[in-house]
This record gives sequence, structure tokens and C-alpha cells, in this order.
Amino acid sequence: MKGRFQRSMAGMAAITLALALGGTSAPLQAQTDAGPTEAQLMNDAKSTGDVLTYGMGPRAQRFSPLTQINAGNVAKLVPAFAASLGDEKQRGQEAQPLVYDGTIYVTGSYSRLFAFDARTGEEKWKYAARLPDGIMPCCDVVNRGAAIYGDKIIFATLDARLVALNRNTGKVIWNKQIADYQAGYSATAAPLIVHGMVITGNSGGEFGIVGAVEARDVNTGELIWHRPVVEGNMGTLHGKDNGITGTLNATWEGDLWKTGGGATWLGGTYDPDTNLLYFGTGNPAPWNSHLRKGDNLYTASTLAIDPDTGVIKWHYQSTPHDGWDFDGVNEFIPFDATINGKPMKLGAKADRNGYFFVLDRTNGKFISANKFVMKTTWAEGYTKDGKPIVIDAGRPGAPQGTEKGTTVFSSPSFLGGKNWMPMAYSQSTGLFYVPSNDWGMDIWNEPISYKKGAAYLGAGFTIKPIAEDHIGALRAIDPKTGKIVWEYKNKAPLWGGVLTTAGNLVFTGTPEGYLKAFDAKTGKELWKFQTGSGVVGSPITWEQDGEQYVAVMSGWGGAVPLWGGEVAKSFKDINQGGSLWVFKMPKG
Amino acid sequence: MQDRRAFVMGAMAMAALGLAPGVAGAAPLAKVKALGVLRVAIYKDNRPWSWREGGEMVGIDADLGTALAKALGVHVDLAELMPGDDVEADLRNGVWKGGLLGFQPADVMLHVPFDRDFAAKNDQVAIVAPYYRESFQFACVKSQLDCNAPPLQYRGRKLAVETDSIPDFYLMGAGGGVLARDVAHFQTGYDAVTALATGKADGALASRAQIETVLAQHQEAAIAKRTLPLPGLSSPGWDIGMAVKENSRNLGDAIEEHLNAMAASGQLKAIFARYGVTWTPALAA
Repeated sequence: MKGRFQRSMAGMAAITLALALGGTSAPLQAQTDAGPTEAQLMNDAKSTGDVLTYGMGPRAQRFSPLTQINAGNVAKLVPAFAASLGDEKQRGQEAQPLVYDGTIYVTGSYSRLFAFDARTGEEKWKYAARLPDGIMPCCDVVNRGAAIYGDKIIFATLDARLVALNRNTGKVIWNKQIADYQAGYSATAAPLIVHGMVITGNSGGEFGIVGAVEARDVNTGELIWHRPVVEGNMGTLHGKDNGITGTLNATWEGDLWKTGGGATWLGGTYDPDTNLLYFGTGNPAPWNSHLRKGDNLYTASTLAIDPDTGVIKWHYQSTPHDGWDFDGVNEFIPFDATINGKPMKLGAKADRNGYFFVLDRTNGKFISANKFVMKTTWAEGYTKDGKPIVIDAGRPGAPQGTEKGTTVFSSPSFLGGKNWMPMAYSQSTGLFYVPSNDWGMDIWNEPISYKKGAAYLGAGFTIKPIAEDHIGALRAIDPKTGKIVWEYKNKAPLWGGVLTTAGNLVFTGTPEGYLKAFDAKTGKELWKFQTGSGVVGSPITWEQDGEQYVAVMSGWGGAVPLWGGEVAKSFKDINQGGSLWVFKMPKG
Repeated sequence: MQDRRAFVMGAMAMAALGLAPGVAGAAPLAKVKALGVLRVAIYKDNRPWSWREGGEMVGIDADLGTALAKALGVHVDLAELMPGDDVEADLRNGVWKGGLLGFQPADVMLHVPFDRDFAAKNDQVAIVAPYYRESFQFACVKSQLDCNAPPLQYRGRKLAVETDSIPDFYLMGAGGGVLARDVAHFQTGYDAVTALATGKADGALASRAQIETVLAQHQEAAIAKRTLPLPGLSSPGWDIGMAVKENSRNLGDAIEEHLNAMAASGQLKAIFARYGVTWTPALAA
């Protein structure tokens, strides 16, 4: 009764407001608009008036056809407004904003979601998840973005929940636990919406987890299918068994597959052409590779999954029998190109392990793998059938005895040739723009080690730079040849996403606080703006009222500042922050 | 002896920080007494030391923390700590810095390895009050295995261990991996020993406290314990103590005094006995 009364009052208020404003105001439109449809989400890469998906399209190419801001005039780009996330909560801001119907939606650190007016930057509402204080996140308190669909905006929280909010009011529509944070699970990736389902991966630093991809009803949050990514584990569809993943014990000994790792913590992409989801999987567990003989499928791999059933259609493993902590979670970006005179449906991934892979996305067939970092100590390259030529001396040894083991120098470091930060693919230049890092690590067995109060055999490591002048390097790679066309070197590690446009531009941020624009063909730096804190988010662009806008989050954090040593010299003086910055061309 | 060692290590740590003795001041102990609460960090899911039962934290460490607070004349606030990748991370979250999401640092954390080299690497805390000597032990079903046989003879038998632990590494790696298919992995050592006691495994390698506490609950099970050392096992055992913040030494001293009194009076032994575990003094004590 009370609810009905309130509803009718709200209706009257809306009518009154409509009369007062002549019925055309944007906020009112927003309340009556049913919101983005599946078709709109699938068309996001082409629709320039909005940004509806993480990756600016389900294929996550992060390419915009807009040309109003271009290599010829970007030097004049100026801020339109900035908006602070407020609170005492700062730390890493790794999110990519969404834009729809005059509103910018962006997630912040500590599992917060904000709605800002896209014309003025004024806050419309915010939602802060109430997080249990006992969670100990492994790698900062970041969130990478939200998904929008109909009247809902959906994001994942550090205590492993999915929350669907009404995008006009910020009020909770549903809130589902997707994993047990008490068992060490967490969630930081942006959800993906396909066929009316929210598709997510899982994440957890604690030992004993098994990576999985899951689909939930976008309207209720109810689980539709669950697909573990480690062979031997059973998948489900509508609550019923749906076949085990792979073949039991084919590449794992004993019962290790039950706790095999492979967390899918970065989410995935979707290709409408092939109707396949692409998810990367994390490294296997335990860390000591000498105790888990075999390839350990499907860890450190890219998987193609049928979105309707959760069945794995193909897999490609970039690091078989990983012993270096080379997660395979990186985004697999579908693109089309002509290889040896043949038009092909392809996909590319820049892996933690330092290699840039091109696969046939219809069947997972290996096309090429080329090194995109300065040095890979673990492998000499890949064979024609896609197997790494592993350098045995580059594998950290088995822990034994009470002596400190020999130190192995390994490059890339466990933070990877490329970490979470998404690359972009330009349909104009045909190049991929990869935010990468050149660093290595000394790794040794550590006998004086304890875990949960008990003696343990761990690994000690020190991350170190391998070049005098840089750690970060933004690299333009030609996927047809694997050649690096240009590179921009940055002193501090790069940790933010990339955007490219038909205006011959590439945008990315730096920990030093700049958002920078480069000539997409030559790599020449054309513009930069100091945002006041490190930029580790992913930039976007859209058109509004006839003008092109660019936006990015500023706020230094993420996993990098957690590691000290020599690498820290390049970023130890960077201040924290938490702001949305929006840019456009000056008028007149 | 333990007081002297703690003092020596403390003096070294203070020298490293460039602090003269006395600068640390009397604040921490006085603060605990003024607030009337001792916040004690204990591990989550660490049976028999600390775990949750019917909503309450119970176990040897829970009881010990409660007894120490009582001895100090204050209430106890048992803080359940989610373990991280290693104890260094736990000390950061539990003692000297706190958690990123607001977990307040404790006045004292229990179940911290008391080891000189480890302490030297963790100079943000003072590791004090060693209260137990822990070690790994092998146990087996009497009718199934010869508990003192070379482990490689256990091929084809189910051997239970805690996932990602020294027992796991030891059995998985033994003889180049010949037992790898026989090792059954469990979330905790307590679960591994419970599998042994309930006929679901033929052998288990776990901590002595885990074995004793499970066997005390399953006295019907015919379980034998190995008396010979395991060849090549990397850990000879380790002492367990407590950690306070580096500047809270007077609190650490007061805790040590009360702990010594509890050891002398038999109270410590009784706490351990409640959970079926034989109290064994730390070697450093």
C-alpha cells in the first residue's frame, strides 16, 4: 500500500516537472527511456553517441570512428570538467567509464559506482558497496568497470558480489553473491552482457580455487551456467550437470585439478560473428611447477565458449606448464585481416609471458606469436604449431632443503609483459596498440618462509628494470607481421588502458599523471595533460551535442605500488587521487 | 632466557631505526589498560588453534588470547584474520598497518613463527612470547601401513595433506614424484587428518597439533604415529610466538610475564589439553 502510494506520488512529481520544463529535459527523458537493448550493446563500436560496453564494443577493440578530434588538432584539446570521487577513499582508479543518455557511469576504488551528468560533471548519484573489513585484497581495491542494460547498471564488488542498480536512481535491483569472499574470492572485472545474460569470470588470491566462467540472468542474477576452466571439473547448465571440462587427468596428476587455479579474473570479450565468448585463464596452482607435471589445461590459456550453453569450443594454451606466474587472462580481441591473401576472422592477445598471439578465432588455430617486450628468458619463441620453445635454465627450480636455492633471472617479471591494462585495435591503421612493460625479476627458493603461521617453502623475488631509460612502453604492433611499428617509452610502468580513433590518434595514461595522445601511424606524442595523480584507467571517446569528448579516470594505484625495490624509484613520489577528467576541443 | 632474547632483538631493531631505548615509551600497555580492551588477531580456519564454531571464535589461540586479556585485567577483542600469501602479509594486515578495507591492527597477533631470521626480516613488529614448539608428523592407519617405513613404500595408498603446504610439497615431490597420484589434497591439515581418522585415507602428514586434536576426537580410530624422522623433510619444526608492533615492546613484555606465569601454573598446559593437544614448550623459551 505504502509502495503504491509512493509510486503514484513519484509519477505526479514527474508530470509536474515535465510541465515546468516543457517536457524535454534530459533527466526526464532518462526516466522514461527503457535503456540500451542487446542490439545497441552489440552495435556499440559503431554508435558514436554513447559508450555502452567495456572495451567500446563487445569485441573490445577500443576503437572509435570519430574524427573531430584528430592528429591535426589534438594539441588544442582542453579539459571540459573534472569530477572527484570524494571520500577519503582513493587508491587505484582502473575503471573505464560508460556514457549513455547524458550520463557518465563510472566505477571507483572500494567497489563504488558513480553517475555524473555528462554535460556538467555534476554527481547524480553514487552507490558505495558495504564491504566487510576482513577482506584482504591481494592487489589493491580496484574496479575496472560496469555493464549497462535496460534500466540496469551492473558491477562486481570486492566481496565477490554482482550488484544491479537502477541506472536512474542508483537503487539496488538485485545483489547476488557470486563466490565466497571468505574463501578468498573477489571480483574486480567489468561484466559482459550477451544474450540477456551477465557473463563474468572469477578471481581469488587464495590457494585452492578453480577458475570458472559463469552466466546469470540479467534481470534476476540467477545462475544459468557455470563452466570451470580446469579439466576434470564438472560444468552446469540450468542446475544440471553439463559435462566435465576437458578430460580428467589428461594433463594433471592425482587430484591437483580440484585446486588447479586458472582464475578468469579479467573477464572476457564476445564476437557476434562467431557467437563465441573469449576468456583468458590464470596461472595454475600450486606455484611450484615441479609438483604438477603436465600442461595443466586449461590454465594460462584463451578459451572460446558457447554463450548459450557454457561449453568450451576451443582452447589455446599460451604458457603450458607455467612456472613463472604467467597468467593467461589477457583480453582476446577479435579482428579481421587478410593473411597470405586470405581474408580471415582472427583474434589477438598480448600475453603476460611477453608474446603477442594471433589465432584463427573460429577454431583457435595458431597463426603467429611474436615477442613484444625487450627480453623473454623463459622461451626462445614459438614453433609453427604454437608450442613455446622453452629454455629449461629459465625455469625457477624446485624448492627443497633448508638452503636458499639458486637465483634465476626471469623476464618478463611476474607482473608481465602486459598486465591487466587493455590494448586497442585500430580499424584505420590495422595496428594493435599494446601497453607493455620491460622488466624482469630475480627469483629464488626461500626456506625461511611461513604461511598461516606454519613453516612453508616459498619463493623470494625482486622485480627490477632491464633498461636504463624506461619500464613502460606503448607499442604499435602489426598483427600480420608481428613487427613493432613504433614505440613510446615511459619511465614508470604503464598500467592504464588504450584508446584509438579514426582521427589517427592513440590515447593512454601514465603513472606520472598524464593522459597522452599519439599519432597512430608514427607514435609521435601530440598532446598531454597532467591530471594530478597517476592514470591507470582506460580512456573513452564519444560525441555529444555535436562535439567529441574524451574521458579518463585519474588515481594512482593497482598492483604496481605494492612492489618495492628498484622499480619503485620510478613512482614512489606519485600522489593518490580519484577523479574523472573530461576533455573536448575549445569552441571558436 | 626468552626475556633476554627479546630484549636483545628489540635493542637491535631500535638501533636499526635510530631510536634510543626509552623513546618507544610506555604508551601501548597503558593504552590497552585505559581502553580496557586487548585486540588479539588470530587466524581464520586454523583448527585447533582458532576457528569459528556457532558464531564464536574458539581454539587454543582464542583461549590463550582471552586468558592473556584477563591477566592484563582487560576485555578481549578476538579479531579473525584472513591469512594472506605469507606471514609477512599477515603481520602487515594484522599488526602494524591494518587491512585495506578497514581491518584495525590488533594489539597482539598470535601464532607467529618465532624465528630469528624471520624476525630480522620483519622489523615493523617485535616477535615475542614463544609458547609452543610445532613440527610436522606422519600418522597412518595401523592395519594399512607400516608408519615407520620409507615413504616411497606408500605407493598406491591414499595420503592426505593440506593443499600448498610443506607436507604437500614433500609427498608430491618424494622420489621425483612417484607418490603424486596418491596424494589427496584438503583445505586444512585438520581436514586431512580427519580423513585419516574416518577411514578416507591411509596416511596423513600434518602438524602435530592437528594430528593430536583429531585423534582425541576419534579415539576409536586405530592410528599409529611415525617415530622415525621423515628422510629429507625440510622442516625440523618451529617455535610459535606472538607479534606486537615494534613500538609496543612494553605490552610484549607484560604479555611474556603473564605467559610465563601461565606456563608455571599449568594454565597453559590445560588450555592445550582442552583441545587434545600436548603442550610442548618452545625451544627458545
